[in-house]
Amino acid sequence: MKIKRNLTLATLVALIIPAAAILCGCPAKTDTDGAASTSTTTTPTAAKRPMPVAAGNTDSGSGDIIIGLVASLNGDLKPWGGDCEIGAKMAIAEFNAAGGLNGRNVVLKIEDSQSAPEKGKTACEKLISEGALVVIGEVASGITAQMAQSAFEKGVPVVAVGATRTDLTDIGGHLFRVCYTDAFQGPVMAKFAYEERGKRKIAIMTDKQQPYSTGLSDSFRAYFIKLGGEIVDEQFYESKQTQFSSQLTNIKGKNPDGLFLSGYFNEVGPIARQAKEAGLDMELYGGDGWDSRDILTSGGEAILKGFFCNHYNNYEERPEVKDFIKNWQAGNGGNLPGTTMGALGYDSVKLTLDALKRATALNSKDIITALENTENFAGVSGSITLKGAGGNPQKRALVVGLDMIKNQVFKKAYEPSEVK
Amino acid sequence: MSSLLPYVAGLDFSALPQQLTNGILLGAIYALIALGYTMVYGVLRLINFAHGEIYMLGAYVALFVSWLFGFTPNATTTPTISLHLVLAIMLLTSMVVCAGVGVLIERFAYRPMRNQPRIASLITAIGISLSLQYGGQLFLPVSPPPSISEKVNPFREPVGFSLSGENPALVTEAQNAKGAFEKTKAEYEAQKIIEPDEFNLSPKGVELRNAFQVQERNYNTLKGKATNSAIRINIPTGQLIMLLTVSSLMALLWFVVSKTSAGRAMRAVSHDFDSASLMGVNVNKVVTLTFIIGSALAGAGSMMAATFMGTPLTTFYGVQPGVKAFVAAVLGGIGNIPGAVLGGLLMGVSEVLVIWAGKSEYKDAIAFVILIAVLLFRPGGIMGSTKVEKV
Repeated sequence: MKIKRNLTLATLVALIIPAAAILCGCPAKTDTDGAASTSTTTTPTAAKRPMPVAAGNTDSGSGDIIIGLVASLNGDLKPWGGDCEIGAKMAIAEFNAAGGLNGRNVVLKIEDSQSAPEKGKTACEKLISEGALVVIGEVASGITAQMAQSAFEKGVPVVAVGATRTDLTDIGGHLFRVCYTDAFQGPVMAKFAYEERGKRKIAIMTDKQQPYSTGLSDSFRAYFIKLGGEIVDEQFYESKQTQFSSQLTNIKGKNPDGLFLSGYFNEVGPIARQAKEAGLDMELYGGDGWDSRDILTSGGEAILKGFFCNHYNNYEERPEVKDFIKNWQAGNGGNLPGTTMGALGYDSVKLTLDALKRATALNSKDIITALENTENFAGVSGSITLKGAGGNPQKRALVVGLDMIKNQVFKKAYEPSEVK
Repeated sequence: MSSLLPYVAGLDFSALPQQLTNGILLGAIYALIALGYTMVYGVLRLINFAHGEIYMLGAYVALFVSWLFGFTPNATTTPTISLHLVLAIMLLTSMVVCAGVGVLIERFAYRPMRNQPRIASLITAIGISLSLQYGGQLFLPVSPPPSISEKVNPFREPVGFSLSGENPALVTEAQNAKGAFEKTKAEYEAQKIIEPDEFNLSPKGVELRNAFQVQERNYNTLKGKATNSAIRINIPTGQLIMLLTVSSLMALLWFVVSKTSAGRAMRAVSHDFDSASLMGVNVNKVVTLTFIIGSALAGAGSMMAATFMGTPLTTFYGVQPGVKAFVAAVLGGIGNIPGAVLGGLLMGVSEVLVIWAGKSEYKDAIAFVILIAVLLFRPGGIMGSTKVEKV
């Protein structure tokens, strides 16, 4: 009996673990994301967004003014969360050094989300209970969604840093972001590949486990076809996969002249390396999920033929960027920001402080109104207007290339009006 | 049936040899990891869930060795050592460290549990696995996830075998298009010297660029058609070396298990643990040897996978291959060494065939469908024992 029972156990485990893994592959998520990408909600009407009923937090009138930041200081998103924290602290320090708000200092309370949505929610609730007038964060859409939902119940505004998922701001009228959406960056890359690089036949590789990737592939495909190009193939993989040779063999048979890789840098690097080995030595395109120095090691020489869409670049010639870089280097031993989240973290705090200044009174309701009325705010990552935008600023996007020494090299900027 | 025909006709059969090769390359790694599961199960009747984490540690060891030789992410110069030597040292260190970790885990986590109910060992194994996944984050670099530099790998050019040549008519056509392509390219390059910003060109520059891009598309399409007209098998050299190393390690394993006295002891313990011990076999030594061999194989597999495929490492690096290899071991008949190899290859090939058939979103499901089907008819796995044991 002994052996038999163990085999039954082994079989059970064998079936349950993979079944769980497959179920966690989130077909449901992909569904909701498909909905997100088809509804072109770049500018949802303000009326569509429900307003929170709760009163939110009110400033005590004396002492320090409290705002909160939720950042991924540990876990997978640490490179982004760490940069975001540095940028946010820089903005607060500059503001207080310049006199603060009518002589009062603003204090930034920081909580770690550990790159996990449910922990981000707890962090957000803690900050609200400590009296934060505004909560800033996060760098990823999944965590921001959880934070925004709990902040909605409390009536506290949220300013998202790098959450690009298109339908995110439908959660409520208290949620704003300082970045563009996926419904914009997909078309930007399609336009760049079609017009600047002269590509007509693109093959797509999509990470079917990531709503970000499926949504971005959809928006790229739709716009590339609209321009007159052809999507010759779409192949799927899942996060943490290490070998892509079979998908690449299929793509090779379709003879494309470029590849669009909509996933995150962890898989994009090895795909680039293996594509070159499989004889697909061609240009690669992608979204802001590529934004990491590590892609240069994991992608090897092949990734140097890549272009991707980003929010900001260290080598831009605008005065806002030059000042930002100068201050960043002074505080960080001469190093440049490794990812774009430094600039976006800085911008989200600056934008919040700007709204605090303009608010008629220091309570959540009036701050939401002040945030909603933001117009032509000169951010490091470009000009931000939230008035009538439903929380989604119409911002420029940059196409950048990769370089072994300089990391990301600016290639071309696209204004929202150019991609219709 | 009638709707199936156009679908079958739409498949690219000329890519089939290449895809089968991909499947064998993929399956070889699954098989190598599956051996570790199956050997431990054979001897101890324990599913060593920490095996995937040993695989993960092997990749990290390889990474650290490569850093030691100067292949760090920020290195601006390439170290001038023999790359073959570096790779060999990486391989050996990974194998040795993994074997050591495997032995430690067995000695301190599994041995005290050996006389307890089986479920206690199983839970211990899961516990070890989770503590390495999460505890590993405390002392291993995970953020940003590091990857082994491509520069350490001298085998980057693929090896090709031609099964049938390119269509000469298509080759000529591509050759004819090359002239126009090179001419327009030269004209555009000349213009780029005057106008260095290729994304902000004058009307003349745009005209030259567009003319060049038309010829480029034309030439590349024709060249691609010519290349695709041949039936070829391309194997990245790194993966070929991986396959050869895996095969020789398996041959070595077969020799140890079937031709040496240690192997005989191992088979005896596997057959009947208690009787073997009564007959004077030192079971603790046999168990230790089993863990040494299984873990060293996992270390070899992860060193090669991490080096030749370039995946960034996290402490969860072993989870996915671990699950796949475990399924391969069950599929082949857990406890059976040739079964693990067969199961791994079957998994690799079936996964690849699903992708080839254009259903890449179902590639993981197919392995489990096969597994369920096999277990329904042969509950012990393909090569596993089906005899009912008396109590």
